[in-house]
Amino acid sequence: MSDPLLRVDDLQVQFFTEDGVVRAVDGISFDVHEGELVGLVGESGAGKSVAVSAIMRLIESPGKIVGGRIEFDGETLVEVETGPDGDPYRTEATMPDGELRERIRGREIAIIFQDPMESLNPVFTVGGQLREFIELNRDFSEREAREEAVSMLREVGIPEPEARYGDYPHQFSGGMRQRVLIAMALACEPSLIIADEPTTALDVTVEAQILDLVEDLQDRYGTSFVWVTHDMGVVAEICDRVNVMYLGEIVEQAPVDDLFYETKHPYTAALLDSVPRPDQTVEELNPIKGVMPEAIDPPSGCRFHTRCPEAREACTTTNPDCREVGFGDPPHRAACIKHDAFDAAYSGSPPLDAAAQQGFDVSLSGGETDD
Amino acid sequence: MSLIRYSTRRVLQAVPVLLGVVAITFALINAAPGNPVDIMLGPSPNQAAVETLKAKYGLDQPIHIRFWKYLVNLVQLDMGRSIYYDAPVTAKIAQRLPATLLLMGSSFAFAIAAAVPLGVVSAQRRNKPTDHLTRVVSLVGVSTPSFWIGLVLILVFSFHLGVLPATNLVMPWAPPSAVAGASTRLGVLVVAGEHLLLPMLSLGTLQMAAITRIERSSMLEVLSDDYVRLARAYGVKERTILRKHAFRNAQLPVITIIGLQLTTAIGGAVLTETVFEINGMGRLIVSSISRQDFPLVMGTTLVFAFVFVVGVILTDISYAYVDPRVSYGDQE
Ligand code: SF4
Repeated sequence: MSDPLLRVDDLQVQFFTEDGVVRAVDGISFDVHEGELVGLVGESGAGKSVAVSAIMRLIESPGKIVGGRIEFDGETLVEVETGPDGDPYRTEATMPDGELRERIRGREIAIIFQDPMESLNPVFTVGGQLREFIELNRDFSEREAREEAVSMLREVGIPEPEARYGDYPHQFSGGMRQRVLIAMALACEPSLIIADEPTTALDVTVEAQILDLVEDLQDRYGTSFVWVTHDMGVVAEICDRVNVMYLGEIVEQAPVDDLFYETKHPYTAALLDSVPRPDQTVEELNPIKGVMPEAIDPPSGCRFHTRCPEAREACTTTNPDCREVGFGDPPHRAACIKHDAFDAAYSGSPPLDAAAQQGFDVSLSGGETDD
Repeated sequence: MSLIRYSTRRVLQAVPVLLGVVAITFALINAAPGNPVDIMLGPSPNQAAVETLKAKYGLDQPIHIRFWKYLVNLVQLDMGRSIYYDAPVTAKIAQRLPATLLLMGSSFAFAIAAAVPLGVVSAQRRNKPTDHLTRVVSLVGVSTPSFWIGLVLILVFSFHLGVLPATNLVMPWAPPSAVAGASTRLGVLVVAGEHLLLPMLSLGTLQMAAITRIERSSMLEVLSDDYVRLARAYGVKERTILRKHAFRNAQLPVITIIGLQLTTAIGGAVLTETVFEINGMGRLIVSSISRQDFPLVMGTTLVFAFVFVVGVILTDISYAYVDPRVSYGDQE
């Protein structure tokens, strides 16, 4: 396979809060090839949004990229190493701020945020905002940018785009605004679009329309996507490859079909189990037990062991990295020591008493048993 | 277009408000114990003289008739005659109002001109020395009474340094012949400026401090909003983000505060005029209350109420100007 368009390598992002250091993203690696739609999935708080914000260095204080490298189209967007004094520093290879802003942000990589209601500035017209970003990122004159904005609005299915151009965001519905934001991203003709839970705030029918629209546009423009979501249904519908995140780490990485049909990580399995499917009755639905622990104080060993139905003693001591566990190309990776690739004495280890591990969560769910 | 419709509606809505103000003031003054006739005639007056005076000022009629007459006259800009000065109330107000408007106007202008850039810079350099300094200054500013600032300013600049006058105001539009120490138009402006500086600072500091604080926190809030993050993600320069994407939105709470500050400014004007011996509306209202000069109290109160209502309308209209959502309902 050719070189990836985006390569994230051992990325670490930490937030230096008053309560201590939060390891929001703790050494994740993934890549995105040209024309690919790569999913980043996990519960809220898993660090997905932080991870994608880091790509364009949009992490705000008190957050900081403290390690790893992000390469885009052969250029190093950021590379952070730890100095002899233990403090992380940006290496020479890191692209300077001004260059990143002018050459990468908007031009090469565009982003769509989760909440379409908050993403547009309420005091400017929709068209004006669209025009500004197009003008800036495609070196268009004001008139050209305006024409492009109108045609892009038409492209994403806004009726009467000329008339709507001068409207303010509050005159658009949520779904329409998200279309505007998609238009904004596409109009700048980037090679990569980061979509940070773009359909989460929308209702299901609108979500379906937006997903169709994105698939259609992606076919025509060939843009690559990183798609952040917590919804396995969305993953199944649009992603080519998937990264499953849990507590700042990627626990499974696979092509979408392998992920669904040859699930290798208990967390992914649990996520899939919790999604309603036509072939399951509601009684068979199996929500994941407990809540995800706080990233400020992650469990020892495998971070999932407090909720993992397959956890054993050995899981509390080793924190598995994400290793190749299946055959195939693109590779199937998982971070679970039950696989042979880990050689971690899992099979000989006694099972953990899951009930004791979960503490009060079990007592909340009353008479249910765990097996 | 919707902005014009909105503004018109807002102005029309002010009419019943003003009517209410007139009614309440009228009722309050009549409910207060004592009346001007007693004061004029001293203790144990002659009954006939009382009747004559009451008839002269219309005080012998029932209250609703008096109120109605007052309204009818008011519409014709007649507020009756001051008992103490024995002159039309409107004439007295016309004489005193310019000084107060000049004082309030200039202190607001000073407050806004200083506070907006200070607040923005402070937000931009959050937790840096500039920010800390601004925050200390504005904290001191909001917690120091304006009359005290006035006294200190007088002490320093008039008494010790002797560089600025401590009393009176000179109207910048006064003819040179009427102003001591000025022979030209420019000279009048200079003298007027010198007189205005200390009262303006003493009245404006509180507003300045309050607006700075709001400007800072409002900018900080807007700077972390999604649409600002989006602009950043699309490669917009920080300067442009500050100037264009964040500034306008951040002014909404600032406008509200400026409107509210108008009330404190009216109170502050009374004190400032007293400290600096300025013959303005503030002192007029205080002295006419102690003299129970009913028509004058009514007149001055109404003018202050009017100034306040105009201020509120201006606040609302600027709000609608900045935020298109406000006047949205007023579209065809
Ligand atoms: S390593 Fe152990 S605890 Fe972690 S997912 Fe695998 S089985 Fe579960």
